[in-house]
Amino acid sequence: MEYGYYPGCSLTGSARKLDKGIRQIFARAGHTMKEIPDWNCCGAFEYGDRKELVNFSKKNLEKARGHFHDIVTPCPACYKNLKEADEAYEFGVIHPLDVFDESFFQWTKQARDLAGQVFTPYYGCILLRPKETAIRNKTIMEETIVRFGGEVAGEAAKDRCCGGNQIFIDKSVTEKLSRIILEKSRGTLVVFCPLCHMALKTFSGERKVIYFTDLLLYIMGEKGAL
Amino acid sequence: MPQIDHAIELTDYRRQDFSVCLGCKICASVCTVNDITGNTNPQDMLQRIFLGKDISADEPLVRSCTGCYRCTGACPWEIRIPDVIRALRHELNVESPFEKAFKGSVSLFGRVYEPYVLMKAVPFLIRGGYMQHVTRWMEYMGFHLPHRVKRT
Repeated sequence: MEYGYYPGCSLTGSARKLDKGIRQIFARAGHTMKEIPDWNCCGAFEYGDRKELVNFSKKNLEKARGHFHDIVTPCPACYKNLKEADEAYEFGVIHPLDVFDESFFQWTKQARDLAGQVFTPYYGCILLRPKETAIRNKTIMEETIVRFGGEVAGEAAKDRCCGGNQIFIDKSVTEKLSRIILEKSRGTLVVFCPLCHMALKTFSGERKVIYFTDLLLYIMGEKGAL
Repeated sequence: MPQIDHAIELTDYRRQDFSVCLGCKICASVCTVNDITGNTNPQDMLQRIFLGKDISADEPLVRSCTGCYRCTGACPWEIRIPDVIRALRHELNVESPFEKAFKGSVSLFGRVYEPYVLMKAVPFLIRGGYMQHVTRWMEYMGFHLPHRVKRT
């Protein structure tokens, strides 16, 4: 299948690993992805004027019009903004977690399992709330970990806030909130959001914080994925 | 009061929309800001906005709302309180140097070019004790030259 792709700003820099992972996984699953030509920033959470914020994503949808119908957007903030801007439901704005469904795993070649390893899936906020833009399957990470023989822990941490949004406003807020998640979780933290990744990794010390894509690539047998 | 009205105009709400609030305070019971300071009550703020009272930029909720939408998820009316607070922050000029640099990058490049944002915010990063984390960030931060950032 051919998808339009909106990586968003952080995936070109601090979350480049997530970008690479998504591209690799989609290619392995036989999908093609093409970037929306000359896309611009979605505005993330930084704009108080709702119209101004929505206009950023409307511009992106304008650039996708005629090229793509289904647009894959890995960054939760971009995903929410783009989905909200598509007021007429003209496009299918899709989060990768909704692509990794039953049929995806039927075609996945498994090279390794997760036996003996403990993971805490951490969704953060925007993938789960508000419900209009939330992902369809809210237990997809747990299901994947269990499917491949891993142990799931840290149920109490999965939908808490890491405070990533405040990291460059007041670091102490992020530190306090991230430490609560680190305390309530066990084993490797599996995240999807670039901001959660940054916040948790900043304060995680020796604990591992990985992207869900790293986990999938590890299962698929990619070297050095975890 | 005009300032609050201005802020509300930036959202999808009208002031009278908040009259539906049942006063159940479930938003307060789930609010992330309570993990930091305690005594935070978004319902009280909505009520004050409805009554046209002033909101101060120093209030913990205005200062530290993380935009987690836990309140929205719990609210019987699904009121998007983080959207209201973001509009208040805009109207009350609560903006960190990093946020300014972020917006500067977007208007200059059309995108957030991280090295530009970090350079612009260096004094703030030094003052705020962020430099100790730089080596950690360097482990996974990709770097690319600005020529790959397109102007729109």
